[in-house]
Amino acid sequence: MNPFVEYCQSQLALRVAEAPSQEASRHSAWARFENVGWPTTRLEAWKYTSLAGLEKITPPTESFAELTWDFLKDHALLPDAKHRMVFIDGVFHEGLSRLDRLPQGVRIGPWSLLQDAERSDLVPRLMPAQTMTAFGALNEALFTDGAVIQVSGGAHLDEPLLLLHVTRGMHHGVQYVHLGENSEMTVVEQHLNLTDLPCHGNFATAIQLSPHSRLTWIKVQQGGAQSYHTAAVHAQQQQGSQLRYFPFALSGAMGRNDITIRLVETHAEVILKGVYQVADRSLQDFHTSIEHDCPECISDECFKGVLDGTGRAVFDGRVRVALDAQKTQSRQSNHNLLLSDKAEVDTKPQLEIFADDVKCSHGTTVGQLDETQWFYLRSRGVDKEVARTLLIKAFVKEIAEAVPHVEVRQALLHWLGTEEEEGFRHV
Amino acid sequence: MLSIDNLQASVADKPILRGISLEIKAGEVHAIMGPNGSGKSTLSNVLAGRENVRVTGGKVTYRGKDLLAMEVEERAREGVFLAFQYPVEIPGVGNVYLLKAALNAQRKHRGLPELDAMDFLALVKDKMKLMEMNESMLYRAVNEGFSGGEKKRNEILQMAVLEPHLSILDETDSGLDIDALKIVANGVNSLRSPERSMILVTHYQRLLDYIQPDFVHVLAGGRIVRSGGPELAHELEREGYAWIGDAQSQTVAAQ
Ligand SMILES: Nc1ncnc2c1ncn2[C@@H]1O[C@H](COP(=O)(O)OP(=O)(O)OP(=O)(O)O)[C@@H](O)[C@H]1O
Ligand SMILES: [Mg+2]
Repeated sequence: MNPFVEYCQSQLALRVAEAPSQEASRHSAWARFENVGWPTTRLEAWKYTSLAGLEKITPPTESFAELTWDFLKDHALLPDAKHRMVFIDGVFHEGLSRLDRLPQGVRIGPWSLLQDAERSDLVPRLMPAQTMTAFGALNEALFTDGAVIQVSGGAHLDEPLLLLHVTRGMHHGVQYVHLGENSEMTVVEQHLNLTDLPCHGNFATAIQLSPHSRLTWIKVQQGGAQSYHTAAVHAQQQQGSQLRYFPFALSGAMGRNDITIRLVETHAEVILKGVYQVADRSLQDFHTSIEHDCPECISDECFKGVLDGTGRAVFDGRVRVALDAQKTQSRQSNHNLLLSDKAEVDTKPQLEIFADDVKCSHGTTVGQLDETQWFYLRSRGVDKEVARTLLIKAFVKEIAEAVPHVEVRQALLHWLGTEEEEGFRHV
Repeated sequence: MLSIDNLQASVADKPILRGISLEIKAGEVHAIMGPNGSGKSTLSNVLAGRENVRVTGGKVTYRGKDLLAMEVEERAREGVFLAFQYPVEIPGVGNVYLLKAALNAQRKHRGLPELDAMDFLALVKDKMKLMEMNESMLYRAVNEGFSGGEKKRNEILQMAVLEPHLSILDETDSGLDIDALKIVANGVNSLRSPERSMILVTHYQRLLDYIQPDFVHVLAGGRIVRSGGPELAHELEREGYAWIGDAQSQTVAAQ
């Protein structure tokens, strides 16, 4: 047992002591975790993603200062979010959150405040995410709190919800989302690790989309030199529902996202577009799986990676089209920009197509900064480094531009440093 | 303005420029003609600082400074402008953003205050009128999806905004229709002044009908094999480059 798992085990005892009624479920999850085993590079799904760094991190011994919104808002993607939930070190922080202006039909609250009956109702609904990986099992055994989002049929959250997770130690959190028929909302999930000390956040997100509901989800991951992030996301889409999921893995020592999207009824659509950025000694890994279980669904997936220094990235994109999923349309692409000859990307598209009347495409590129474009910008007087940054941003900008919600898009573009061009449009 | 002294340069270890000397005074316009592959673009690129061209000998002095010692962007800020033979498409970078970044980089370098968005737009829109360009071009990505002619006009727009001391136009006339040629020539002529110099790389007399050069040079095999006044361009138009073989062997014999 490595030090990380040892620490997790000590946490398990604590969780059980806090709530003895959860003993059975937490212990059975732990047993599942032990059964699956600690992921090593001998496993196909972890071949390029070593957890050696995570294994060695130790829990924080210092106590952390109380955080204020004044401080956090400078780091928040949506500093003026009308609705927000803030989780500090895995626990919902009521004082920093703002949920008093939710419209009719929208219920958003922390897991920790659920009634027992409701909690046991929802536990099985997290399972699809918590059974995806070893970290999912760990999550089920150890999670402390999370967000529960329920939107009833026809309801519409007027403005985006900000889910801000600040992790300074080692924590496990959950997110449960259920959108009723023809309802709609936008969520910005932001992970902020504001420390260079070791920390790890492990999340499980289960999303259920009823017929014709529409969910836009933007996830932003940021962290310091020793911050680790693992997440399992499972979405199930019913007829005519739309999911637009945009993960941005921008910094941190290591990130691993497992994303599974199941299109279980006709005419469901998913857009999955993400960015990963790595530099010296960091790694980002996206394992995605889109499952076309029935006819006439659409999936559009594109990941772009920027790799600098000794950074590494993994993209494993599986698209499965079941035998009777005729008239499927599926697109997948993965483009990588290598800024250093020491950076490395392992990209692996996996198309498993069993139906015959489908339109499916995929493409992968790995390239360097275009020397001619760089020279062109510099020949106009633009500083060497500025020109380089400009080209890198131009490369990933396409993803941010696909975000449909205008304010979130602007905030992202601003964040990625490309807002100046946008700004001109409004002069 | 510009003094090129026995410049030699290689691309991918292949010698392309083999001893070029050229003197350009302030206010002068020099046309450079010559067969395909003779090194005209290579010369233009060396002057702008393209790193894949390796200078192997010679000196270039620009307004009293060692041009070859300057970084690409420094040359631009000091007033050197290259209009590319093949303008580069840059998806994701706005045309207007580049124009503003370029102008402000230059102003900062010269100790002038940067222009704000309003003043800048007023200036650019003014120059766009001169180039008869549609304003919507400003908000597109740099050259992305522009037609051949639109790209060339965009180059001259950048030049008009930056008002360089030394402009090098590498075949800006190629691919332009007759009206566009006039517009581009107009743009170039509006910048002509006793303080500014230009190098026009071209294959055709056509452009020189609109922009009268003071000197015409013929570049062949990486050397200037003939220089003369505007009449030389007419002669080339009539007679082509067949005589070059003799001229080159004469140069070699003379050495
Ligand atoms: N990257 C390169 N590698 C090898 N050779 C090159 C490279 N770039 C240019 N050259 C060669 O250098 C020579 C000069 O090219 P250059 O583009 O300067 O010619 P040019 O006079 O501008 O021709 P044109 O009139 O066709 O534009 C050519 O023989 C060309 O093939
Ligand atoms: Mg050329």
